[in-house]
Amino acid sequence: MSHVKTDKLSARTASGTITLGESGETFALGSGATVDSGFTPAAISINASASSGALAIDASDNLQFDSGYGSTATAYGCRAWVNFNGTGTVAIRESANVSSITDHATGDYTINFSTAMPDANYVTVGTTGFDPITFDSTGGPLLAIETFSTGSVRIATGYTYSVGYFAANDWSQNCVGIIR
Amino acid sequence: MKRIIYPTDEGGVAVIVPSAEYLANHTIEELAAKDVPAGKAYQIIDEADVPSDRTFRNAWEYAE
Repeated sequence: MSHVKTDKLSARTASGTITLGESGETFALGSGATVDSGFTPAAISINASASSGALAIDASDNLQFDSGYGSTATAYGCRAWVNFNGTGTVAIRESANVSSITDHATGDYTINFSTAMPDANYVTVGTTGFDPITFDSTGGPLLAIETFSTGSVRIATGYTYSVGYFAANDWSQNCVGIIR
Repeated sequence: MKRIIYPTDEGGVAVIVPSAEYLANHTIEELAAKDVPAGKAYQIIDEADVPSDRTFRNAWEYAE
């Protein structure tokens, strides 16, 4: 193995590019070596041990990973989430990218984002309930979306009864996630 | 922890519950400026001053 020591490699022209190796070749960092913070590749792939990398950032800034999916594909993030208690003294148990919740009335809350979404076309998922209730064939706990906006989402919690009827209700467990 | 209250358009009162993560880097006044609807009067109160009995939650009213 040959060994070259130098302090700096520069392209022949000011905006030139230095190309290391050819397709299929591997470059490895020595044990304990680090990459400077100024390292800004247009795309990066990590641990390409199989047909595709386990983790990658493509040229469009998409984070991609395999992790059991079967191939390296773009991952879409949960941009905000909250778990809060809607009974007694309403309180947030834990959250991320949520500045606050607004308690408007029984079973009527707004989740306010710390950093707004790029648009109001995101997906809201959620569950509610947990308190001892009687389930029957007519329904059970329900969490519904009232309004979307870039800065917040307003939800309604309650339960269904009979057919087509909804009653607002406060539940102790309310879990909401925003995917975008 | 503090709470922010403001009157709703329906004659009730809205209660803003801050997240710990937001208050780690912002003040309650900054939160009010962000999450209270524009033009609404509001008050910052102690959590203990908000009733924990929500039986008649929809009948709560905002008092100046």
